[in-house]
Amino acid sequence: MIYITKELRRHRWRTVAGISGYVIATLFIVLLLSVTRASEKDSIGILKGTGTHFIVYIPSNTACCVSCDNESSDGSLIAEGVHTLMLNSDLLASIKEISGVRDVAPYLLYRIFDPKLQSEVSLGGIDTSSLATRNNVCAVTNLVAGRYLSDRADEVVAEESFARAHRLSVGDTLKTYGSRLTLAGIINSGIKPGKADLYAPIGNVRTILKEKMKCISDGFDMNIVLVEVTDARIQNSVIQQLKERMNYLAVSSYNCYQPASEVMNKMEGTTTVITILIIFFLIIFSAKTQLTSLIERFREIGILKSLGWSNSRLSMQILMISVIQSLTGALIGIISGYLLIILLNSHQVRLYDTLQFHFQPALLPLLVLLPLSGGMIAGIFPVIKLYRTRAGEMINNYM
Amino acid sequence: MALKHVECISLTKQYISRNQKVTAVDNINLSVGKNELVLLKGRSGAGKSTLLNLMCGLIRPTSGKVMIDNDCITEMPDNSLSRLLSEKIGIIFQSFNLLPTYTVYENIEIALANRGSGHGVNRDNIFTLLDQFSLKDKAALLPSELSAGQQQKVAIIRSLIKEPAVIFADEPTGSVDEETAGEILNHLLYLKRVKKVTLVIATHGNISENVADKVYLIENGRVIG
Repeated sequence: MIYITKELRRHRWRTVAGISGYVIATLFIVLLLSVTRASEKDSIGILKGTGTHFIVYIPSNTACCVSCDNESSDGSLIAEGVHTLMLNSDLLASIKEISGVRDVAPYLLYRIFDPKLQSEVSLGGIDTSSLATRNNVCAVTNLVAGRYLSDRADEVVAEESFARAHRLSVGDTLKTYGSRLTLAGIINSGIKPGKADLYAPIGNVRTILKEKMKCISDGFDMNIVLVEVTDARIQNSVIQQLKERMNYLAVSSYNCYQPASEVMNKMEGTTTVITILIIFFLIIFSAKTQLTSLIERFREIGILKSLGWSNSRLSMQILMISVIQSLTGALIGIISGYLLIILLNSHQVRLYDTLQFHFQPALLPLLVLLPLSGGMIAGIFPVIKLYRTRAGEMINNYM
Repeated sequence: MALKHVECISLTKQYISRNQKVTAVDNINLSVGKNELVLLKGRSGAGKSTLLNLMCGLIRPTSGKVMIDNDCITEMPDNSLSRLLSEKIGIIFQSFNLLPTYTVYENIEIALANRGSGHGVNRDNIFTLLDQFSLKDKAALLPSELSAGQQQKVAIIRSLIKEPAVIFADEPTGSVDEETAGEILNHLLYLKRVKKVTLVIATHGNISENVADKVYLIENGRVIG
């Protein structure tokens, strides 16, 4: 060991150059993996939420179905423009049991013809805390004016198109559904499968339908189940499972999960290929750095061999020097990379203005092992040559 | 362990240079007795250095054998050869082959580094030899800070520190001035006379044949006399 440290000290600049090679390579891979993973995480994060939701209901050919005795209201439970049957809340638990389902939520969507407004008005009762609701119906982020729903029984939010059509503003009182409803806010939920004209908390809507619209059926819970799956790529499988278990249900999805799923698969594939290429590059770079350094030492190794140093001792020295340099370089590279990422993030430096650099602690073992294996691989060639070559050939060939 | 002899049997070394086969050593047979001083004489390019390298096991022959103490070093496993080089054989190169980043002392010390714990580095022995060669005050210097003659002396000390039974020297006086050459030669003769070391010296002619027990004249890779 004393000769190994002596060797590293004596050839100070060669040692520094060797370690620098590993530092640069490791730093490079830390940043590259940070960017690649950040890009994958952010992009797939967006795509994962694309097309991960669908709605479930039972279509019916009877308006207002069996649960309502107020025929004069001309109202009906609807979903996607068709009449539906009531659903019991037990169904939520059954659907949630299906593998890949992240969240389920009840939805009560009713539509009446309002003679005063001279138009149809749909009222959606939602669970405001549910992810499935946010993705299938509306969310607080869709708010364009006023505020979102509170617990007050007389408050609703209206879709922007409905509000514009009837010249409604925040704070207006709307007389419909046998009630006086205050417009707390206006939202634009975009294209969603469970879209309605007005939204209120599901409990309030249940009360309105029971007390004001005289819909008196027992178990008057919901007519639509909103479903959110964990990943767009498994949506198809979840729908298949659902249909196998409850074939009486109609399932409606916008199918945007299909392109999202394809893009995600391609992105993951690309990221994997890039990561493999980076790893391959690091090993080659490390091996090349070490090999260059060792070739420069070949004559000296030949001299030591001529003095009677054994192959095993010289091999150990070569490998140990490789290991020490690669390990030192890797550790400095990791620390430098970590500090650089902190620096970039503290100065709000973003890739394409959005992607944040993420240090990946999980990659630490890999970042240490890669240069180490590179150094070992680089050390193997000179060791093989050492065993196959006599001292005189090593001295003369490199003189 | 006393050395019986060094023997070359039908020793041939060929290599390829510019796509042509070159025979550097051509079927040489020679022997070196215990405590003999043998000169391998010949012009530059005659094959002396190659023969010397073959005799001490630094390169492999194309064919033939080299026997040292009845051991065939050409067929010897590497570990056994290393042990032989470490314990019995001293080599002095024409170009010194000192490690440039090691001090004079360290260049000598590394010759003992491969020995077992029972043969640990003896600082006193190193300084005694440095003193004998008037290099005691140069121990901490790098080879580049020494003259060619001083470097050759360090190379000689490096081979002597192991107390070898046989020393192979390639033009030991070839790169130094006349005075230093005489000094080096006297040291070598002292080793033969007092330490009973066997010497095989390759020279192009600046060492007198009178000091030798045997002289082999080499030309075109062959012994011609």
